[in-house]
Amino acid sequence: MIKNYLKTGWRNIIKNKGIFSINIAGLAIGIASCLLILLFVTDELSYDRFNEKADRIVRVIFQANVNGEEIKEAVVMAPVAQVLKNDLPEVTQSTRLAKSFNNRIEFDGAYYGQSSLAYVDPNFFEVFTFPIVQGAKTEPLDKPNTVVISKSFAENTFGNTDPIGKTLKVTNRDENLLVTGVMEDMPKNSHFHFDLLVSTLGYAQAKKTTWMESDFFTYLVLKKDVDIDVVESKLPAISEKYMGPQLKEALGMTFTEFTKENEIGLFLQPLTDIHLHSDFSDSTTLEQGGDIKYVYIFSAVAIFMLVIACINFMNLATASASKRAKEVGIRKVLGSNKKQLIYQFLAESFIATFLAAFLAVIIVSLALPFFNQLAGKDLNFQYLLSPEVILAIFSLILIIGFLAGGYPAFYLSSFNPLSALKSKFSGSGKNSGIRSGLVIFQFVISAGLILSTLVVKEQMNFIQNKELGYEKDQLLVVRSSYLLGNNEDNFIDEIKNNPLVENVTHSAFVPAGESDNEVGGIFKNNEFQRRMSFYNVDENYIPTMGMKVLEGRNFSEDFGAESDKVILNQKAVEILGFNKNPIGKSFQRDTHDGLKTMTVIGVIKNFNFKSLHQEIEPLILKYNPYGGIIIRSKVADMSGLIENLNNRWNAYNVKEGFDYSILDDSYNYTYLKERKMGTILSLFAILTIIVACLGLFGLVTFTAEQRFKEIGIRKVLGSSATQIVALLSKDFLKLVGISFLIAFPLSYYLMNKWLQDFAYRTEIHWWLYLLAAGITIGIAFLTISIKSYKAASVNPIKSLKTE
Amino acid sequence: MLKLNQVSKWVKSGGRRIILLNNLNLDIEEGEFLSIMGPSGSGKSTLLNVIAMLDDFDQGEYFFENEPIHLLKSKKRTEIFNENIGFIFQAYHLLDDLTVYENIETPLLYKNVKSSERKALVADILDRFNIVGKKDLFPHQLSGGQQQLVGIARALIIKPKLILADEPTGNLNSKQSDEIMQLFKELNQEGVTIIQASHSESNAAYGSRIINLLDGSIQKS
Repeated sequence: MIKNYLKTGWRNIIKNKGIFSINIAGLAIGIASCLLILLFVTDELSYDRFNEKADRIVRVIFQANVNGEEIKEAVVMAPVAQVLKNDLPEVTQSTRLAKSFNNRIEFDGAYYGQSSLAYVDPNFFEVFTFPIVQGAKTEPLDKPNTVVISKSFAENTFGNTDPIGKTLKVTNRDENLLVTGVMEDMPKNSHFHFDLLVSTLGYAQAKKTTWMESDFFTYLVLKKDVDIDVVESKLPAISEKYMGPQLKEALGMTFTEFTKENEIGLFLQPLTDIHLHSDFSDSTTLEQGGDIKYVYIFSAVAIFMLVIACINFMNLATASASKRAKEVGIRKVLGSNKKQLIYQFLAESFIATFLAAFLAVIIVSLALPFFNQLAGKDLNFQYLLSPEVILAIFSLILIIGFLAGGYPAFYLSSFNPLSALKSKFSGSGKNSGIRSGLVIFQFVISAGLILSTLVVKEQMNFIQNKELGYEKDQLLVVRSSYLLGNNEDNFIDEIKNNPLVENVTHSAFVPAGESDNEVGGIFKNNEFQRRMSFYNVDENYIPTMGMKVLEGRNFSEDFGAESDKVILNQKAVEILGFNKNPIGKSFQRDTHDGLKTMTVIGVIKNFNFKSLHQEIEPLILKYNPYGGIIIRSKVADMSGLIENLNNRWNAYNVKEGFDYSILDDSYNYTYLKERKMGTILSLFAILTIIVACLGLFGLVTFTAEQRFKEIGIRKVLGSSATQIVALLSKDFLKLVGISFLIAFPLSYYLMNKWLQDFAYRTEIHWWLYLLAAGITIGIAFLTISIKSYKAASVNPIKSLKTE
Repeated sequence: MLKLNQVSKWVKSGGRRIILLNNLNLDIEEGEFLSIMGPSGSGKSTLLNVIAMLDDFDQGEYFFENEPIHLLKSKKRTEIFNENIGFIFQAYHLLDDLTVYENIETPLLYKNVKSSERKALVADILDRFNIVGKKDLFPHQLSGGQQQLVGIARALIIKPKLILADEPTGNLNSKQSDEIMQLFKELNQEGVTIIQASHSESNAAYGSRIINLLDGSIQKS
């Protein structure tokens, strides 16, 4: 019997090639999109799960709200790890990691400047699962100045020779590191990646006992089946016990007094949440992570794509019902019961789904490299062939088969045989109502996605063109200029004289991309106010960056030593209450040698020194040139300048190559996540409307067939082809129009939510709706008119002859 | 075999009641070959559909082999129909996508007859109707007479007690029509009860009894 169902199903598909091609193409696109998104989402959700103890590891984080300053950091104080392990019975292990910047690694006369290095506690490998492939398998870091290196770093540095026992030099800190182990490269789906892991035993910072500075990413392993909330609820007491005394000493307030007006404390974050649920300040973020919102958005898109493709199937099947009615009638008279007919129709949809799934797998294998590029992923097709995924695909086929074939099957099999045979049946009435509803649903999704894509694009434009308070174009950043040592000043002088250069400043503080970072406590009349960010700059910083001095003056050599002078941004002026006449006012800042008084000499216009997700914070510019170089080019094309600088750099015989970044690029990189999301979203928006229009095309085909005779009569009566096209298109376009009424409010609501993530954002302008509506209607009309024009151009004699 | 008692059927059209069957009484014995005659719209097809349980009626009683059909649920009716009745259409109503063989086989599939048994039954009937050579052809490759032959073979495959034929030769020329009628006669002699609706006197004459229908009533028996 099954054989028979499949046979008839197949013959029917062959007979209605056109419609089934539409169905299968739509389904294939739907399933392929679904699989791609499945790969993407699984990858996003897989982060850090390779760790054997993944479900028991948590990260300790620090959150505070001090005098209006919102602080959210993924690092905590050095002693936290040990204290939590000692004081909390639920914690079985704790380990720390501190990222180290600007390293210069030397081996055998060769330099490896780009290597990522972190200090980790000796028990690091007991907490995280990074297999040691060479050297000491247990406790490779139990002595000071030992290092475990990654396999690829080992191959790069040591080639075929055995790295164990060799010594690497960190020249900028004058450290010698003994290689004790080689580990597998950290998996791509880890929330951090390092080539060198150095023992904290020789690291001075690790021994600090202060609870006032945060430096360490701290991870705990909890006992099995311990509730995180229970452990977290014990943390306030710990903070009070250890932080309290130091707080009193520094601020003269007890912990209780302090927390009356402020919030401060330690919290726990599950390891597996880190990738998708992190919004910590940039300086304490190990790597740009993902975002759970996008996982939700894309999952929803995947489901919508499938539903839209299934709707095509349903609509085309019920629209063609009049064609199938006779067959249903005969079969019923021949003794078929309803169930058997349902099976037969389901067989058809399963064959179609199978073919579509097969096609989808081919599409995915071809589209994967392209998609990887879009999503910035390294998704592997092999993964699609794993047993779980194949099982998932099969269940998907089952679900789609039922979803797409179920409704038509029940609908068609319920015909009364007699009226079916008499062909009394027509595809109108209640059924066409449902069909209209489904078409509306499809276009709600399509139009909604198109509008959403336009909003994302608009926000990206807004980001690109936003007045930032500085000129981000034509800036070249050389953060590694410290490598020149004593020659750094000579290099800067040369740059100053370069005809391609407009200006140059000696600073490592950049408002976008990787930057140095300094935060310090601010006191007024020796009373603690709040923490603020500092920029260490020279007198050329403001002109080079194109910032605007609103009051007072810039730093200048003419005024002698400027180290106790500061320039504030407007926000800092506002918070310090210097609104009237800020020039000459003073405050104190916290230094290692106690409070130091600073005098305001100028105010600059606010500029966005953090991403546009955040409001502009108070910022203090102080005179302290060190670190990198920022160069403003005279011309937009900086390739000549870069070439030039590269040559000068090499003339100083530095063993490391010239390394630079273009500020504009770094700025764009900040919004990479959103940009990628926008690109992927637009891709799926296009696919969605293609699939929806495939369905529309099919429906118009049926309508044109059904009204073949009517069209003929109308033409004989003098109707023009255009009028016929209008006649056939009108009803469908009405449905598309109705869909806007649902799609736009929905999309407005969701995109407004998305925009809330940006402190600086575009509005959803009225013309965006118009554009989205225009695009949708345009594509839909094009689809419809292709078919309806053809129907309208047929010689009326032909259609009337069929009588 | 079956008995209709005061059966009436009507449809409403624009508030008016149009009578299709009017207080109709009919008794059919096993082994009969009944021809129903009458002009277009006299209710022939309606009567056949009612007998076939494909259509409801509004008043009266219908007993099929002593089962009160008018009291049964539609599922049970369908069951009785599927067990006992073969239906032959004027327009043949073969399934276009299936071959001759598959068309004849279909009713057996719905009755869950085993594959080997199906093969034997279909082979028998193909043989009997002399259409073995055509078994792999599709309906559109056959002449009208041949198509109706397949239609009859398909109706007979379940070995029905009763065959209902609604103008079985209406689309055929007289030679083909005579052949079909001859076949009906043979089947009747083998014991199958046949009820046919027909326009043509000569075809009706093949029957053992003729009734005339006019405006839903039997004129004379």
